[in-house]
Amino acid sequence: MSLCEAEKTFVLHGVEENFRVDGREREDYRPMELETDIVSHAFGSARLRLANTDVLVAVKIEVDAPFPERPYEGKLDFFVDCSANATPDFEGRGGEELAVQISNALSSAYRSPNVFDLRKLCILKGKKCWKLYVDILLLECGGNLFDAVSLAVKAALWNTQVPLVKQVDIDGNNINLDVSDSLSDCQRMDVEKAPIMVTVCKIGERCVVDPNAAEEKCSVGSVVVAVAGRKISTVLQTGTGSLHPVTLLECLTLGVKIAQRLDTALWDTLRQIKPNQDVGFLK
Amino acid sequence: MPKDHKRINGPEETVPYNLFTKLNTKTLLTKFEEAVCNGKRTDLRVPEEHRKIFLKSGIVSQAKGSAYIELGKTKVIVSVFDPREIPNRTDYSLKGEIYCEFKFAPFSCVKRRQHQQDTEEKQYSAIMKQALESTVCRHEFPNFQVDIYALVLHNDGSVLSAAITAAGVALSHAGVPMYDAITSVTLGIQDGIRLLDPNCEEQTLCEIPISSKQESSHGVIIVSMLDTHEQISQFYQYGCISVEDLSASVDVLKQACKNIVPVVQKCLVKHVLRTLNEDVED
Amino acid sequence: MPQKIYIRLASHRVNTSVAVNQRHPKIFTPGEVITTQNEFMRGHGTYEENGELKSSVAGVREQVNNLISVRPLKSRYNGEVGDVVVGRITEVQQKRWKVETNSRLDSVLPLSAVNLPGGELRRRSAEDEHMMRQFLQEGDLISAEVQSVHSDGSLSLHTRSLKYGKLAQGVLVKVFPSLIRRSKTHFHNLPIGASVILGNNGFIWICPTINNTDESVGGFIQNLEQVVPKQERETIARIRNCILALMQSKMLLYDTSILYAYEESLKYSVPELLVPEAMVDTAVLTQQRLCMIENE
Repeated sequence: MSLCEAEKTFVLHGVEENFRVDGREREDYRPMELETDIVSHAFGSARLRLANTDVLVAVKIEVDAPFPERPYEGKLDFFVDCSANATPDFEGRGGEELAVQISNALSSAYRSPNVFDLRKLCILKGKKCWKLYVDILLLECGGNLFDAVSLAVKAALWNTQVPLVKQVDIDGNNINLDVSDSLSDCQRMDVEKAPIMVTVCKIGERCVVDPNAAEEKCSVGSVVVAVAGRKISTVLQTGTGSLHPVTLLECLTLGVKIAQRLDTALWDTLRQIKPNQDVGFLK
Repeated sequence: MPKDHKRINGPEETVPYNLFTKLNTKTLLTKFEEAVCNGKRTDLRVPEEHRKIFLKSGIVSQAKGSAYIELGKTKVIVSVFDPREIPNRTDYSLKGEIYCEFKFAPFSCVKRRQHQQDTEEKQYSAIMKQALESTVCRHEFPNFQVDIYALVLHNDGSVLSAAITAAGVALSHAGVPMYDAITSVTLGIQDGIRLLDPNCEEQTLCEIPISSKQESSHGVIIVSMLDTHEQISQFYQYGCISVEDLSASVDVLKQACKNIVPVVQKCLVKHVLRTLNEDVED
Repeated sequence: MPQKIYIRLASHRVNTSVAVNQRHPKIFTPGEVITTQNEFMRGHGTYEENGELKSSVAGVREQVNNLISVRPLKSRYNGEVGDVVVGRITEVQQKRWKVETNSRLDSVLPLSAVNLPGGELRRRSAEDEHMMRQFLQEGDLISAEVQSVHSDGSLSLHTRSLKYGKLAQGVLVKVFPSLIRRSKTHFHNLPIGASVILGNNGFIWICPTINNTDESVGGFIQNLEQVVPKQERETIARIRNCILALMQSKMLLYDTSILYAYEESLKYSVPELLVPEAMVDTAVLTQQRLCMIENE
């Protein structure tokens, strides 16, 4: 979808006046909808809808051997799939570039142990660990993908139940794991510091968060900031434009501020979730 | 990993021998203290000092433009090929495209690399493309594509920065119109100490937090700048850094990028003079 | 003033359907028999088998004299001659432009069917062909009228009137084509300080009030320097959010319904209208007012 010059000018002037096309201010988000625990085969799942953007995340867990040079750590793997449901452009390998960009951003964001401690996923040092496969499905693309994906991933990891290992028997080279049978006997993951990504778009001279598809086309450069707690876990510059260092730092400070607000809102919602409240796609 | 049927592969479950040596049993804290002791690093640099750069253009004779860069022990070759028509494209576009490929040679790192691009290399290719897109005058070759290939011969830290700086030189050598000379620097932070242009050991040390203090930052920042316009064309960071540490580091990086510009300019001027002298002799 | 960030649970989702007083019409599904008498003509959405007229889409039956057709809720726009459409230029070809109008095939705007700037009536020369990109480029928005419908269903457009042409600063909203009610005029200058073009193809264009005296050059000159003042911007944003609220509750869109929705929405601030509760509230109140008018 392309825009004509007149529409771009209209959007630009709106951003200058702090009154965007749909009435929001520069720092406002559109209303979102979240639900967790919708995929029964997965150990944890979440779905987030941000206006026209729809993201479904499912977490599966398997037992694996840890990397030889990092015997105490488990593994975390992100995979993003741009479904052809979203737009016909994603058919076949069309969405690959976007998918790779998002999964790289997530891997960078979750890299530091301060953000997500992989050592909690270790079962037996050097021999067995849990490997988490986080699969992200983009059902609809309406702008602002990084934010929606990071929120959904955090909710899915919060929802994930890692089975409890009751006993480990070592018999020569055979290792037998005794995993608890009951479903409620599990450990939840500590996602207190899991990062939230905020896309800050530069339109004209100002910075805007949560751009819709039309605003994304008007922006020259944008910065994706992943914030964990009060620290920045990854920064990516996307788009084809360059930024002045001062603008970049402004974007980063704005991103940190907004991410903290998003985090509080997300935790408020997660605490409201009661078990067995399946809605899914049927309502 | 897709199996490579053209080469003879080693057994699947192989590990590098270093895991079994005594050196591997040191704790991170000891390693870091050895890396930076008394304010000097292992190669006797101060923490905020860049390594010496060696830049030469015109290395690859078959390519339209090429450059070779050495940053201490890091060695990277970049070659640039002529604008060619974009395959499979029919829509009208006012701007040209850039295609970047970043690859580690299998023998360049401590652990042997695969022959096909893995995710890390794909990510670096995307970052390189991001950096070079704002430098090149894309409206000068609409509907065409410029190919840039970077190959790392030896990885001793700061590889991406070396590749981007060399790519800038190679693009100028190829005669592709550019807005400005692009320079790039890497910075590692660990527990309040900023290590400019880290080598491989220091870069891995900065990826994991060593101190258990709440406020300490650790991470790696890679920045590319266009000096005359004072624009940051690419910014990539990973780790866990507070905003204050980040802004202080950006200032250090800005200055470091500025300091490299004369090296780049000298290399380009040398190349032009060399070509002129050859013409005169003919 | 920083607004609250709303993340709601799916179980708290709001029901957007609005109660309608009329009798529910019969809904036909694909393959269902509509009638067995053969004196009727087939329209869109039907096919004939064994002498019976069957429906090929899921929708409501419409009958005009002898013509029976089945109209689905969501479909691509099927153009009729004389419809006003708002479209976006996708391609610039030899002597015509391809326009996207939310129909099955792209519509065509021939070079001979536009008013040249300056308002002259002359033969199109070869020079005009090269200058086509100067008039209309990829991505430009135009308002036009359907001149004819080809056999394959693609539309041929024309802008041979001063009220049609390239659209200047404003906002485009896309809705389902079936929600736009057919009326005599589709250009409305609303009394609240904005103009609305309700394209039959589901594209609605909202812009600051068009002064009819200015546009004498066929609408190809745009003033990009002019900044739309905040008051008008607020009106335009409010209208946009009201249209989205009405669309979500599947209500018909015409100038009266949009005006009522605007008035009912005044109790919310413009960004609050994005919240689902506010949207449903506005739609319900508008429906009530419309019912009252109908009953009188």
